[in-house]
Amino acid sequence: MERKQLDVRGLKCPVPIVRAKKEIDVMKAGDLLEVFATDPGSVSDFQGWVKTSKLAALREQRTETDPAGKAIYVHVLERLA
Amino acid sequence: MTDATDATPSVDVGQLLARADAGEPLLLLDVRNEDEFETWRLEAQHPLGVLHIPYFNFLENPEACIARLPRDREIVVLCAQGGSSAMVVDMLGEAGVPARNVTGGMVAYGEYLQAVPVPVDGAGWQMWQVNRRGKGCLSYVVRAGREAIVVDPSRNAAWYERFVQALGARLVHVLDTHVHADHLSGGPLLAAGAGVSYSVDAGADFELRHAVQPLADGQELRLGDGADTVRVRVMATPGHTPGSTSYLVGHRHLLTGDTLFLGSVGRPDLGGHVHEWGQILFHTLRDRFGALPPDTLVLPAHYAGLAEIGSDGVVARRLDQLRRVLPELQLKDEGTFVEAMRAALKSPPPAYAEIIRANLAPTPIDPDRATELELGKNQCAAATISAPS
Repeated sequence: MERKQLDVRGLKCPVPIVRAKKEIDVMKAGDLLEVFATDPGSVSDFQGWVKTSKLAALREQRTETDPAGKAIYVHVLERLA
Repeated sequence: MTDATDATPSVDVGQLLARADAGEPLLLLDVRNEDEFETWRLEAQHPLGVLHIPYFNFLENPEACIARLPRDREIVVLCAQGGSSAMVVDMLGEAGVPARNVTGGMVAYGEYLQAVPVPVDGAGWQMWQVNRRGKGCLSYVVRAGREAIVVDPSRNAAWYERFVQALGARLVHVLDTHVHADHLSGGPLLAAGAGVSYSVDAGADFELRHAVQPLADGQELRLGDGADTVRVRVMATPGHTPGSTSYLVGHRHLLTGDTLFLGSVGRPDLGGHVHEWGQILFHTLRDRFGALPPDTLVLPAHYAGLAEIGSDGVVARRLDQLRRVLPELQLKDEGTFVEAMRAALKSPPPAYAEIIRANLAPTPIDPDRATELELGKNQCAAATISAPS
């Protein structure tokens, strides 16, 4: 089981989902992908996307703060099947 | 990937609204996520055909999504900022379905400003109501001769600079009717850029941290030169906020800010003193507005729905008409009025405390944060109360 990170900070939609999907597509069942985003819209986008994706499940969402005080939205995805 | 390429067919918000208002049969394909779609929609004066399919559905299952699209109307694709919708437009293009991207998405819709001339009596001066369609915010430009003032400008100060310049006028004063809680004021920036005075009465409850030129109740500002002049009378009309001010332009054009709208009155609860501010608002409405002539034209700082836009494109109503239709103006005593205000309380606008802080601060905030803070429509009116029995 692998755990990979994807940095899409500073990038706006659709990039976070497009890149996450690309990663998930080539991962193995049980692998985890941790996505770091700054776009606040990514929170609902990831929730919505996993409802339609047969390959990804959302395991965790949390908000961190970078040293400059800017919010970082972290999405932890698991590759299914 | 995010930005529309030059080849992505697009339409800007102004063109889209003009076409949709005229009743052109368009299909608006909204590709935002469920939350964003439920919270805030693009609206036109003529009802739009809307289809909601999030952009990530197009990534997962493009054929099924494309099969749902009607082919009998032009398709315009909308998202939050224009990136995801551009991707969908490109996908549709590859599938042989023509569509256009709404440039800048809902962010551009929320910032789009449309200047509509307000009919005035006589010559010598003009007024424009600047309608921020996505927010339901109204600001005003008044021009007499070579001088102009701006009242309640939105954050995009450069827009007003260009507008006044195109009139061949120069800005002489920038005014706010009150410290806004739902949107960021462009007032301080606009005034500083033009090197002119900025005035807003913050009242005792708010600590304003930038320079203002104080104005006194009853004071008159004279705008214009030669035969082309108009007077602007300052009226203290507290209640929505303790410092709320209305401006009477000429004899009957009353810029009421958030004190009086076409469908209700300003909510007196945003400072946490609904009882005290409600009492003050009652006296403003009864004693100050009550003393004005019936043909006074109320020009507010917000509207609640597109139905309030008149056939001339202006959001305005005569004071005597409002006295007839607004139950809030028919309540005869202070206690009943305050109770009605209290009963009609609704949740405050999102981020209002932070917006008030930003409007009191000496420097403008980060543009990305500003966009986030301003998302959605205004909620400055008291919830409509039912007619008194």
